[in-house]
Amino acid sequence: MSTHLPTAPIAPPAPSAAPEEAAPEPQRRLTSSRSGRRLAYWLIAPAVVFMVLVHLAPTIGGVVLSFKNLNTFTFSQLFAAPWNGLANYRSILFDSANPLHSGFLGAARNTAIYTAASVGGTLAGGLGLALLLNREFPGRRAVRTLMLAPYVVPSFVVGVLWGFMFQSDSGVINRILVDGTGILSHRPAWLLDHSLLAIVIPTIWRGVPLAMLIFLAGLQSLPRELYEAAAIDGAGPWQRFRYITVPLLRPLIAIQLLFGVIYSAYQYAIPVVMLGGNPGPDADLMMTLIVRQSFSNNLFGFGAAASTLLTLAMLLWVAVWFRAFRRDLDSAA
Amino acid sequence: MRWSRASVLVAIAIMVLSLFAAACGGDDDDAGGGAEATDPASLKGQTVRLWIMNNGPHPVEDTEKIVAPFEQQSGIDVKVELVGWDVQFDRIRNAAVSGEGPDVTQAGTTQVPFFAALGGFEDLAGRVSQIGGKSAYAPGIWETTQVVGRDGTWAVPWFTEARTVLYRKDALEKAGVDPSTAFTDMDSFKATLQKLRSVKELGGKPIAPFGGPGKKAFDLVHNLMPWVWDNGGAELSEDNKSSTIASPEATKGVKFASDLVSSGLWDRSMLERDGQQVEDQFKGGRLAVFIGGPWVLAASKRSDDDTWSSAARKNLAVAPMPNGPSGKGYTFIGGSNLMMFKSSKVKDAAWELIKYLSSDAVQTKYADLMGMFPARLSPQKQQGTLDAEHEAFYQAISTQGRSYAPIPQWAQVENAYKGQFGRILDTGARGELSDAEVQSMLDKAAKEADGLLAQSTG
Repeated sequence: MSTHLPTAPIAPPAPSAAPEEAAPEPQRRLTSSRSGRRLAYWLIAPAVVFMVLVHLAPTIGGVVLSFKNLNTFTFSQLFAAPWNGLANYRSILFDSANPLHSGFLGAARNTAIYTAASVGGTLAGGLGLALLLNREFPGRRAVRTLMLAPYVVPSFVVGVLWGFMFQSDSGVINRILVDGTGILSHRPAWLLDHSLLAIVIPTIWRGVPLAMLIFLAGLQSLPRELYEAAAIDGAGPWQRFRYITVPLLRPLIAIQLLFGVIYSAYQYAIPVVMLGGNPGPDADLMMTLIVRQSFSNNLFGFGAAASTLLTLAMLLWVAVWFRAFRRDLDSAA
Repeated sequence: MRWSRASVLVAIAIMVLSLFAAACGGDDDDAGGGAEATDPASLKGQTVRLWIMNNGPHPVEDTEKIVAPFEQQSGIDVKVELVGWDVQFDRIRNAAVSGEGPDVTQAGTTQVPFFAALGGFEDLAGRVSQIGGKSAYAPGIWETTQVVGRDGTWAVPWFTEARTVLYRKDALEKAGVDPSTAFTDMDSFKATLQKLRSVKELGGKPIAPFGGPGKKAFDLVHNLMPWVWDNGGAELSEDNKSSTIASPEATKGVKFASDLVSSGLWDRSMLERDGQQVEDQFKGGRLAVFIGGPWVLAASKRSDDDTWSSAARKNLAVAPMPNGPSGKGYTFIGGSNLMMFKSSKVKDAAWELIKYLSSDAVQTKYADLMGMFPARLSPQKQQGTLDAEHEAFYQAISTQGRSYAPIPQWAQVENAYKGQFGRILDTGARGELSDAEVQSMLDKAAKEADGLLAQSTG
């Protein structure tokens, strides 16, 4: 694949200029452009080497291991472990007698639900808050700053905090919903009976501030005249939102959708802290499954195959996303 | 600057791969350097690196205190390094495979067969006669140093623990239960919990009859297997080739635990917590009965442990695990062993350290500090004479103790069981499960375990 690096344009000789002086100019520019390009290559070389060593090589290594029979007995051989062909993939995808198959399908389903719910909730929450904070009111700056607080809390801490808050007997959620307001008549065991919802909510809580910040920046750059003209034409608030705000924020929605899905599909810290390394069939996600099977059960071949499938799913998602939003990408470029 | 679509796609693809690589990133960046290269002719001046886990409140300081006399006598320097329980499995495995590790490491008793199977540990069979060999340890404890189907002695027992019933004397008194018969068998255990239901509050605090952690506990299998063993069940077939966790006997044992949850005798909110959190609930006075190890007893005597409510601390008592229908009771016996890395350059010095840590006096002293029991028979017996509580633990270790088959795949089989045990308890919290429902979930655990047992080198 070729990459297009920006190059300095070669100017045609000026017709009115003296011929003996005009000739060396393009030559000099060409030479300077070549040396500039060489410098650029040298400058990006460390980053390329770093990416190859730290990202590309381990990823390729993971793909190779996915074709190996790498388990408790062969772990010490690592890359020299016996070749297993497509057996790991077959057992994951098609072998209904293999418990790893149902575990994988369950985790894939949970991950899809978790991702859809957390990304949808984050974008909706972020947009809603941005619309609210885009209005003038006293203390707006302070509120905006406070709203950003969840984003600076590390995922691990988010898991610990919400794990405590969701405890059915002493957690603050039930204290509010049951003891304080009486909204619920019984004490739900969030971490047992609603485990997937219990990890979706903290994920949204942590993601909303960044989404809000991005949407707020977008809203503030939208031209006021459009809204004024639409209002004069009789468009109500909902119509103005539907036909002006949303289309103009589409590039921002697109980029957040892209990274939100990838982030959620690779989520590990929040479920593992709140529910443990084996969150059970209702909330086992792809990453908890992969880490558990690889590092606790020593099924590294299985883990590598499942990781490769997850990565392929993400690349497929990127392709779908690119097709759906390519016009927005062009207009933003 | 305008980017072509291809460039944007490539950039995004790299980002996806990078994020994935980051998400899967290991934590073995500090797996340790190589062993010291020293003159084998003299042990004096050699340095032995020892990996220990969080065995007590001050694990490194306590261990350094214990090895200080050894350093003085032998001239061997001991470098004690702490490796958390949360990462020790990965770190020891990686060190064994890479040959980049310490000289000696602590390892959980059930982990020894797996580590030994990696081929990175020294066979100590030729040396253990110097510390009394097999006869100096209880058979169940010595068995944890072996690997089924492989000759050799791959570890030396360091300290031992067994689970017993820990209860509040004041709670039993208020419920009108005689402690001497309260936990003799599974029926009386359940009857006691039912009576404890009437005790809603103690010392101004709400109290539940019983509680234990669920799927978040690393040792969930150790907590449930005694009920399985009591009912005549077992974790594996006699030849260790297949799982027997879905047998009718094992099902009965697991259902006993699940029924405690569904009947409300086992506080279901405890299932949302991990083992340490539930232990803290017991210490804080929220549970009347709890199943725990000797470290809880040791913690009750430590004034700096402020998780205890004064009533819970004052009224703590210990009883052996209940007997099953056959009249015999079981408990999981665990603890830690010491293993020597094959890559060690100071094997003789490392062995001298293991030998020192295996002496009766040092075993007693270290077990005292850690709140555990010595692994050797003689100091273990001595520890059991300290008071009634220690005696109950000693009885549990010597008469009820049972562990799992020392096979390399055990840790993975245990994970498979843990997953379904956690699920059964969670489901039990929503209502009573039938035998068939429990068995169907255990069938899944057995199927997964059979797959793990079938792992091969080919």
